[in-house]
Amino acid sequence: MSSVTAPPGTAPPAARAARPLWRRARRVLMFVLSMALIAAVWEGYKAVGPQNGGDVLGWKILPRAKDSIMPHISDIYSRFGDPINRASDETVLSVVLKGVWFSFRLVLAGFAMGLVAGVLLAVLMTRLRVAERAILPYLVISQTVPLIALAPLVATWGGKVEIAGWEWPRWLTASVLGAFLTFFPIAVGTLRGLQSPHPSALELMDSLASPWHRTLFKLRFPAAVPYLVPALKLGAAGAVIGVVVSEISTGLRGGIGRLVTEFGQKATSDPAIVYTAVIGASVLGLAMACLVALADALFMRNRPKETEA
Amino acid sequence: MSAVEVTGVDKIFNAGKVAQVDALVGIDLVVEPGEFVSLIGPSGCGKSTLLRLIANLTEPSAGSITVNGKPAKQSRLDQDYGMAFQQAGLFEWRTVAKNIELPLELKGWDRAKRRARAREMLQLVKLPDFADHMPWQLSGGMQQRVAIARALAAHPPLLLMDEPFGALDEMTREHMQAELLRICAQTNTTVIFVTHSIPEAVYLSTRVVVMSPRPGRITDVIHVPLGAGRDDETRETGGFFEKITEVREALRGAELGGGVRGVEDR
Ligand SMILES: Nc1ncnc2c1ncn2[C@@H]1O[C@H](COP(=O)(O)OP(=O)(O)O)[C@@H](O)[C@H]1O
Ligand SMILES: [Mg+2]
Repeated sequence: MSSVTAPPGTAPPAARAARPLWRRARRVLMFVLSMALIAAVWEGYKAVGPQNGGDVLGWKILPRAKDSIMPHISDIYSRFGDPINRASDETVLSVVLKGVWFSFRLVLAGFAMGLVAGVLLAVLMTRLRVAERAILPYLVISQTVPLIALAPLVATWGGKVEIAGWEWPRWLTASVLGAFLTFFPIAVGTLRGLQSPHPSALELMDSLASPWHRTLFKLRFPAAVPYLVPALKLGAAGAVIGVVVSEISTGLRGGIGRLVTEFGQKATSDPAIVYTAVIGASVLGLAMACLVALADALFMRNRPKETEA
Repeated sequence: MSAVEVTGVDKIFNAGKVAQVDALVGIDLVVEPGEFVSLIGPSGCGKSTLLRLIANLTEPSAGSITVNGKPAKQSRLDQDYGMAFQQAGLFEWRTVAKNIELPLELKGWDRAKRRARAREMLQLVKLPDFADHMPWQLSGGMQQRVAIARALAAHPPLLLMDEPFGALDEMTREHMQAELLRICAQTNTTVIFVTHSIPEAVYLSTRVVVMSPRPGRITDVIHVPLGAGRDDETRETGGFFEKITEVREALRGAELGGGVRGVEDR
């Protein structure tokens, strides 16, 4: 391509702005560094912080640095390798990983449901302007309902559902609540994206006698992709929160949410184990973030890139 | 059969409301095949509206419009015309070739035929090596060429352009004007071209249609018999300058009927 002589009056084509490899490597490095930093702050505070907590200007806000509250990183790490309790030879790591995997599947199911619902709603609102005015306010209101209040309700409604011998499985409640937090950012982001094409682009499609659904697939959806990616990030975080919180509030067994409460009850006798569940929950969040980052890289690979500073 | 026939067309926006705009009244215009007709006038005089009426992107309030002897709507459905706007409006997620293929996809052509036509069009607009580039890798002038290639991909007999070179710098603009004339001669395309540049209108057109605002109407039609095969030298001939003066005076005459502003004198 570089051998082409550009016609007079035209600038040479911009160099392809591929994201260099070292930039990705730098991101990984930054992540590792930030982990190390957190560990250092943790251990540093343990070394200098007051054993039984302390006050600043009369407020008791300094956490207690003693081992029963803030165990050493090495203790948390080694706790993963120990058996879960004296009666079992299953390690904590194995239990936590099983919990993460269980919840991960619920999160994926919830995320998928929320994605489909959100995109369908956005398409409906794009198609019918009336629908946008009629639906959008309710979507906004729906997000103000506290999840803790909603979880038992959904579980109860689910328990009443029985279609042709199919019964509402208990895990579905958690996924539905994940979907409940996912669909909203996706619907709003997709709606903005579907409405983003320039009027002249829409006129171009009209001039080509493109029916509405072909304009949707050839213009509106591709134009919505850059809006969808950040929406997916919010949606993924929502799915994780929805699932974990409803696991806790409905007492669903098997997931990481349940482990957080279960291990929390052992805090006095076994302080390190509490943190293993917390770390498990963040791994769950990380897994979803990675998935979305992958989707981002895939969808945006041929798009003009903002030059990163 | 005329390429375009506009008869007694009015276009009133928001009829009967406070915000009523008489965008066009009593428009009669006949464009014969092979003509290059420019619409010129101050902004707000209804040039774009007239073009959009011909393209059947909006319906007239009164009167009738035929394109290729058919009602405007039928011509749109048959893709009897191609269209280009001030923004090249290429789809940033498609390669240059895929952008040009868009009208053909909508016509249901198969992939091999589309590819071949896209290659042919890229030859025509002198960008044969840019098929697999992304639009954002191209300069503004090159993007506008691709937009023209897309508009002409299905070989429509009529090309409708709304200030397509309005966003280009002067050098690129003059170059693109020459290229457009070559392309249209080569493909036998009739053109209706909206502009607010007097030299652009004179250089390109066989006829310049002068419009004035409030209400939008045609006040003058000026023939430009500079012949085919116009080139950069044409811009320096006495005939060219005479026509520029004539168009300018026609615009000034129109001014007496309504306020003229925004017409470029370059
Ligand atoms: N969709 C619309 N609704 C209401 N008024 C419009 C609309 N489109 C154009 N107009 C009005 O019609 C007049 C002509 O507009 P336009 O054709 O865009 O002018 P030009 O292209 O010559 O600058 C302007 O006064 C404009 O405000
Ligand atoms: Mg206009």
